[in-house]
Amino acid sequence: MPTLISHDTITPISQDGWELAEVGAPVNGSRRIVPVDDWRPESGDGLHLPGDAEPEARFSEAPLIAINFANFSDGRGLSLAVLLRTRFNFTGELRAIGDVHPELLYYLRRCGFDSYLLPDGRRAETALSTLAPYTDYYQASVLEPNPAHRRIRRFA
Amino acid sequence: MYRYDSFDQKFVDERVVHYRAQTERYLAGELPEDEFLQLRLRNGLYIQRLAPMLRVAVPYGTLDSRQLRALAYIARHYDRGYGHLSTRQNVQFNWPELAEVPDILQDLAAVQMHAIQTSGSCIRNVTTDQFAGVAADESVDPRPYCELIRQWSTSHPEFDWLPRKFKIAVTGAGVDRAAVDVHDIGLVVYRTDDGEIRFDVKVGGGLGRTPVIGKTIRQGLPAHHLLTYLEAILRVYNRYGRRDNKYKARIKILVRAMTADGFRDKVDTEWANLEGSPSTLNDDDLARIEAHFQPPAYKSPPAGAEILGTQRLEEPAFDRWLKHNVAAHKHPGYAIVTLSTKLTGVPPGDVSDVQMDAVAGWADQYGFGEIRISHEQNFVLPDVRLEQLFELWRKAEAAQLGANNVGRIDDIICCPGGDYCSLANAKSIPIAEAIQRKFESFDYQYDLGVLDLNISGCMNACGHHHVGHIGILGVDKKGAEFYQISLGGHAGNGASLGQIIGPSFSREDVPETIETILRVFLDRRLENEPFLDCFRRVGMDPFKERVYANSD
Repeated sequence: MPTLISHDTITPISQDGWELAEVGAPVNGSRRIVPVDDWRPESGDGLHLPGDAEPEARFSEAPLIAINFANFSDGRGLSLAVLLRTRFNFTGELRAIGDVHPELLYYLRRCGFDSYLLPDGRRAETALSTLAPYTDYYQASVLEPNPAHRRIRRFA
Repeated sequence: MYRYDSFDQKFVDERVVHYRAQTERYLAGELPEDEFLQLRLRNGLYIQRLAPMLRVAVPYGTLDSRQLRALAYIARHYDRGYGHLSTRQNVQFNWPELAEVPDILQDLAAVQMHAIQTSGSCIRNVTTDQFAGVAADESVDPRPYCELIRQWSTSHPEFDWLPRKFKIAVTGAGVDRAAVDVHDIGLVVYRTDDGEIRFDVKVGGGLGRTPVIGKTIRQGLPAHHLLTYLEAILRVYNRYGRRDNKYKARIKILVRAMTADGFRDKVDTEWANLEGSPSTLNDDDLARIEAHFQPPAYKSPPAGAEILGTQRLEEPAFDRWLKHNVAAHKHPGYAIVTLSTKLTGVPPGDVSDVQMDAVAGWADQYGFGEIRISHEQNFVLPDVRLEQLFELWRKAEAAQLGANNVGRIDDIICCPGGDYCSLANAKSIPIAEAIQRKFESFDYQYDLGVLDLNISGCMNACGHHHVGHIGILGVDKKGAEFYQISLGGHAGNGASLGQIIGPSFSREDVPETIETILRVFLDRRLENEPFLDCFRRVGMDPFKERVYANSD
């Protein structure tokens, strides 16, 4: 079973309310997350993007965007997330799906993700224990738009 | 030099805890080998042919005596009593136990050091001129900017999972000693006539399988915009760099595919959105980081020039050492000393714990406690008083660090090669040794001048053979080790890539072939002409003709 971590806690999939839809799949109660070709801004559907997608302004109307990681060491989804959050002011839920690795959620989090669907076999305990391995970071991020030296007295 | 504040210290301390937990999860079987690989690589831990290899970051090649003593302790306690100075100014240990690496990191953190991002597909340790801050030909000290880049790139949320490794080098001097033309990003920092600090930005240079000279995509970038501009470049690379083939994943391939103009346009479009963002540096930021790199309390007035004149007349070997290993310092009365690790029979860059302790002691005794590591794999003492050079030279000689061969044919850049590395096609260290044996006295006899000879054991080019005036590359020919020789490469100002002279040579034939090349050079050379200038003037043909004269 995949594990959903949402807002830093394990969320039972049954309470999630979102379902990843194949192209043309029927609606069965859950809200759907659909590929960009099937998605309309006014539909209320979530949007499913591959890591190499080009972000668009209209995407910010989605209630949820799921970015797929083809493999966990593919960082394209990180840049896509940053662009959606900072350039297109996307304020809905940003979810990491695909080959999401529990050791790496702290990167994802700082790029603006707020939920993570860990595939079967990946340890949710690890994910929860390593969400914030560092108290603070040097550089700006989606979570913290100011670099450390701008927030606290440094280099002195 | 830069000293950690509580922020830096906390970060590296937390890194130790974090990495220790990752190692424990791996050892407990919770983390599969191929997944742990990506994590340990981002902490400098390779698994090599014989054992793990841990690469410790020496940010822009600068360390103090306490840090060097800690490295000596690590060599003694966790390794086999030696370490290796790398071509990216870092220090490598070849025999640590995987399970002990967290303890090593803890010892490193105690002296403000770490191994973060010294391998893996991320932004690597930034490198610079080993004479930064003291070179007589320097216009801007690059170290404050290197430190800003170090901090900005450390555990960057967006850029730690790039298509491939990413290397940034910075130079601020007339002579480029940082090889900025062959880095993913090469930065040239200078001061304009009205005192503004500006950067020229080169991208897409590199060695490896596809050697390329970097292209300048921005001139005159004000220092305030350095980090946001780097962010724009990295974002374009992270999004569009190839990930389907690791040999085509470096930024140079992307720049070539998009063309330099196309790449520049993409970066500029991205940067338009970042210009002025909170990561922009203000005057106060720059002033505070520069304050970390203020010159030490140099003694005035300068002394020692006279006694030096006498000493060099009395000791020809000292005179040679002064000519080759000692460089001009910004401050009168001081000199920059390069301590060569290139002793015949010792793998280039290898230094023992005893030597590390000795160098640390000299840094305290003859300087201000600071040491540099050069990309040519030598130690540098940046602040030695002229009247103390002779005494230092004597001690260096006794510690086997006094070879007077810096920039000469036997100051070889060499990768670990087939003796250690699992990627290598051929051994490189025995070739280096054979060349050193053959040409040390040859150079003495004929005064060959400045000559960079670089050896790589495979086409990944860790020994920078493409930019050696003479480059040697180990190749595999039906299971046998052969060596391809190239001429005319150069890493500094006006960088160029070597041209292959012709069919490759067996290991036994390499030294003799090099001798033939040098004989052609000596025949053709104008008075005191360096090898590179001679080659550029006469071209490949005379060398080729003589080298292959006796073959069919």
